[in-house]
Amino acid sequence: MSKLNATDIQGFVLRGYNFPLARHLFLRITGPESGRALVDALLPLITTGQRWDQGAKPLSTVNIGFTHKGLAALDLPLATLISFPVEFQQGMRSRAEILGDRGRNAPENWDALWRDNEVHVWLGVNAQTAPAMESACSRLQELVEQSGGAVLLGSQDAGMLIIDGQPTTREHFGFTDGFGNPDYLGVERTSQPGQGKLMPDGSWAPLATGELLLGYADEAGELPVAPIPHLLASNGTFMIFRKLHQNVATYRAYLEEWGARYSGGKQKLASKLIGRWQDGTPVELSPERPDPSLVKDQTRNTNFTFSEDAAGARCPIGAHVRRVNPRDAFGFKGRLINRRRITRRGLPYGPYVPEDQPVSDAAEHGVAMMVLNASISRQFEFVQQQWIEYGNDAHLGNDKDPLMGNHGGEGRFLVQGDTTASNPPFVCSNLPSFVELRGGDYFFLPSITALGMIALELVDPR
Amino acid sequence: MSNINGKVYAMNAITPMKPWKTLLVRAVFFILGAVKPLQNDLINLSFIEFARWVIIPRRSFPMLANGQPQEMLKYDYLLFFSNFNGTWNQYIDAFSAVLSNGLNLIWRWSEKFPGSVPVTPFKEYIARQQFDTDYYYTSYPEATANDIKSAHIVQGALDTLRQQNKSLSTEQFNTAYLNFVIAVQSHLGETGQAPVVF
Amino acid sequence: MANQNGTMYGLTILSPIIDDDKAVPSHDLQIRAYLASLPTDRQSPFAQAPGTHLARLVVMDDVIYVGMPSCEEHLKSKYLVFESNIDATGESGLDRYLTGLAQHSGTHIDAIWSHCVGYPGASEIPAFLRYMKACQLTTTFYFAAVNNKNLQQTQRALQTQRAVADFIASHQGLAAAQTQAAFNQFLQQLDAMPLPPAGEPHVVRAIKTGGKNE
Repeated sequence: MSKLNATDIQGFVLRGYNFPLARHLFLRITGPESGRALVDALLPLITTGQRWDQGAKPLSTVNIGFTHKGLAALDLPLATLISFPVEFQQGMRSRAEILGDRGRNAPENWDALWRDNEVHVWLGVNAQTAPAMESACSRLQELVEQSGGAVLLGSQDAGMLIIDGQPTTREHFGFTDGFGNPDYLGVERTSQPGQGKLMPDGSWAPLATGELLLGYADEAGELPVAPIPHLLASNGTFMIFRKLHQNVATYRAYLEEWGARYSGGKQKLASKLIGRWQDGTPVELSPERPDPSLVKDQTRNTNFTFSEDAAGARCPIGAHVRRVNPRDAFGFKGRLINRRRITRRGLPYGPYVPEDQPVSDAAEHGVAMMVLNASISRQFEFVQQQWIEYGNDAHLGNDKDPLMGNHGGEGRFLVQGDTTASNPPFVCSNLPSFVELRGGDYFFLPSITALGMIALELVDPR
Repeated sequence: MSNINGKVYAMNAITPMKPWKTLLVRAVFFILGAVKPLQNDLINLSFIEFARWVIIPRRSFPMLANGQPQEMLKYDYLLFFSNFNGTWNQYIDAFSAVLSNGLNLIWRWSEKFPGSVPVTPFKEYIARQQFDTDYYYTSYPEATANDIKSAHIVQGALDTLRQQNKSLSTEQFNTAYLNFVIAVQSHLGETGQAPVVF
Repeated sequence: MANQNGTMYGLTILSPIIDDDKAVPSHDLQIRAYLASLPTDRQSPFAQAPGTHLARLVVMDDVIYVGMPSCEEHLKSKYLVFESNIDATGESGLDRYLTGLAQHSGTHIDAIWSHCVGYPGASEIPAFLRYMKACQLTTTFYFAAVNNKNLQQTQRALQTQRAVADFIASHQGLAAAQTQAAFNQFLQQLDAMPLPPAGEPHVVRAIKTGGKNE
């Protein structure tokens, strides 16, 4: 396949920047002409996928995405607008039933920013320091005001959790995050075994580029469904933004109560729910205890399969990581899951509260999560609907993901065990919802070329 | 009209075949039926409750006289009826991904079949040749093929424990019960309503 | 025998529909209208008669043209397709099933099939059987995920599965003697539970997972 032109692809798509701070700005376009002028003004600031040479790392980055309503507000031609996939046209709010976003997760309970507004534009700013963040954001604010093309509806801050004075890659439940993002053909990155797709001989290979980027062959051996014209879609991708609130108090209380009943103890029980220990050790490789040397070893920390553990006695069948990336658990050497992989980016929001300190569910703690994929319905929505809020593919009936599921206090999770005393079968009942949805939407992240076309009103659908 | 009842989807499809090709399809089905391991992939895909193919030779449409006109057809027809779990897209994606050879063997004899890989032209073909169900009944709408298989495993394990229990001391029961739980521990998913179709 | 897979029988029946331009609406549309309001739960004609796991009724208007260079052709009659997955072994099993339909669900069966050519009615069983078999097609290849359990066994297993899950969850961490006593009681309760009626979803949960039949 041809080499990727990293200068045409938004940097955020190709890599997580690993900067400690993020701010997500959400705008509404006020008029097509001034809106396009704004896009034109922002264009030179958009960070591309070009690699940074030593010492040339910028202090901050900017990336941009549009909802369907945003593209319509910019007056893209009708033929182009209706050529976008249906789910993108509808937007995440309309897909709530499909995604299981009911009860506490339903749109009427979202943050005001998402509940009351039509969001058109996402501007994602990542920064190395607080001053760099403020400087980048005020520059953006200036441009927004000058052009008169949009109003700022609100923003979402996020940042690495500072624990004992150090930035970490942990999230609020204490788990080290950031494992397992897929490898794609042509996307330069330190590849680790286990990130890609499983080959018949047991090795790992990168996924087809078209699973992430529009305009390239995907795992089904064809070009994914994309809007017209080609030039608008190529090198672009779709992003799902979800503000995921975490009920830290409920989580800690639940683990306290049920961890006491489980003979393996609280930490082990937590690891069984997630499929990794808090430090990131995969339970499948080390079910009895965390293993720091394993975590540090890039050739091992995501290199595992489940076929030797069909009974789930090491990593429970319904554990979070096993649900969202079943690897070879469904047989057929993993072929059934190659088109269901997603790239996750994001940072937590809210300050970390140490485990021995009181914490409240109402406080703002959570993750500003972003998912990148070529097809929202085939990848993200499928995983969300069929593997998180449901369990039939794993032969678990209606059971939901223990961590992310919308349980409402009635969830059940089975830790499969064996005859050893420290690894008994164990049932967690009355699972509450540990994670709630507070808002979000579906965005299109155009290539640099496509952004130019949008800015200059050059989108021609033929 | 509904193609869906609870967790199961009723697909109906009809494709024409030149009569000389019908013999080949019959041969394929004969081999499929006779050589059991060939069905393994189908079994392991585990989301089909029941499926059938029915060949209607062009002169074999039921004729009941009473003034019913005789069918005068050039083609034989292959009818396909499937009862599967999951969404339409998921079903066809899965077949295209792992059973494409088998599908091709069955449908290549149908006129203008585009092949089961890549998946988009395959889906277009099916969508065109599919006709909708007027009435769909299932006696267990809340259960998928997987749920049912699991349920039978649980029933079997319980029957065994019940038998054993008749002569067990409390000590022995402890062990037997643990073994029972281990036997059923991955088969206890709740049944209920299906996710919303999209 | 192609229709048989283990204890499951794949019944495929194609009944030509009466073509009468004096009928308003036409007979196929009348069948459609009737089917649109026919219940699919315990009131279904297939729930009230024994032996049906899954069944469908489809008004097949015509064959479907695949496009050039294939020839365009059309059926002279419309057909009512009846595809049913039933507990039956061999000819006698089929007879028993069809007789059950006629006896328990005769009114619905008559209402639907009265629009079909040559239908004698469900009241006279031998004629009814002859008619249905005259419309029967041989299933060329029949696949069944589970081919050795009948409907009652399946419903009982589903009931057991739910009860066992609840029992295990609520008797965790108890002393062995307690568990054994509770287990004995559980068996008694389970045995006393009546089979849920066919066609009904077993449980109504407070949290909806969506689905057409909510």
